[in-house]
Amino acid sequence: MTCKDAIAVLADYLESTLSPDLVEKLEEHLRDCAPCRAYLATYRKTKSLTTDAGRVEMPEEMKTRLREFLLRQLREGR
Amino acid sequence: MLLDRAVAGDVGALEALMSRHSGRVYRLAYGITRNQADAEEIVQDVFLTLVRKGAGFEGHAALTSWMYRVTTNVALNKRRGKRRELEVSLEEHLPTYTEDGHREGDRSYVLADWSSTPEQAHLSVETRKILENAIDGLPDHYRAVLILRDVEELSNDEIASIVDDSVGSVKSRLHRARMALREQLTRHFGPRR
Repeated sequence: MTCKDAIAVLADYLESTLSPDLVEKLEEHLRDCAPCRAYLATYRKTKSLTTDAGRVEMPEEMKTRLREFLLRQLREGR
Repeated sequence: MLLDRAVAGDVGALEALMSRHSGRVYRLAYGITRNQADAEEIVQDVFLTLVRKGAGFEGHAALTSWMYRVTTNVALNKRRGKRRELEVSLEEHLPTYTEDGHREGDRSYVLADWSSTPEQAHLSVETRKILENAIDGLPDHYRAVLILRDVEELSNDEIASIVDDSVGSVKSRLHRARMALREQLTRHFGPRR
């Protein structure tokens, strides 16, 4: 397995959907390849940072506006 | 069902419905559009469509799935025309290889592993800004898949159904999007090339 092959299957590896045969080949490659180990670690970290950054909350004043908007629409619709 | 009661004018049911779903709809709408005002309009549109549509959902899962699909489509439509999708910019952030399949680039750069630097540094205002700019710079359909998978944590099958594409295409976009973000974070955290 080359670095190109290894990087191509990282997402499946993290999701545990790689075949046992490919897992073995990838892990063997990772044991010998420091750049790919660094790539995997930073790829995994990128995923978790994206999760953290994406957890935005709806502002409270927006919730109030949404509630008022929907109540108005419901009243007008009847 | 909560929705039926909300449509009939039960304020408590409407509030419960909003409390259960509006945060998720907002998060996805903002994640795709990257704009608070657009996200607010989308949340209003989605809930208005919902209360007008009324019944017809068989359980919580069907309603949630409908909300994800509508929100994604409306958000992508809103983005359309606001910016050009530059596929080439994504290519610039993907790893390159030598003919024999090894990573190309300076040794210190390809070895850069910033994953275990202190968490606080990762979540600094500066880092967040870099990551958000990188997410903003993704082509819209890549960003939508990334948000659905890595923020909303839906399965690839669910995402394929929402964006009406194959699972293979979803997986490919997701991987390329993550690689593009990783590259830009590495330029920030790791040694300069």
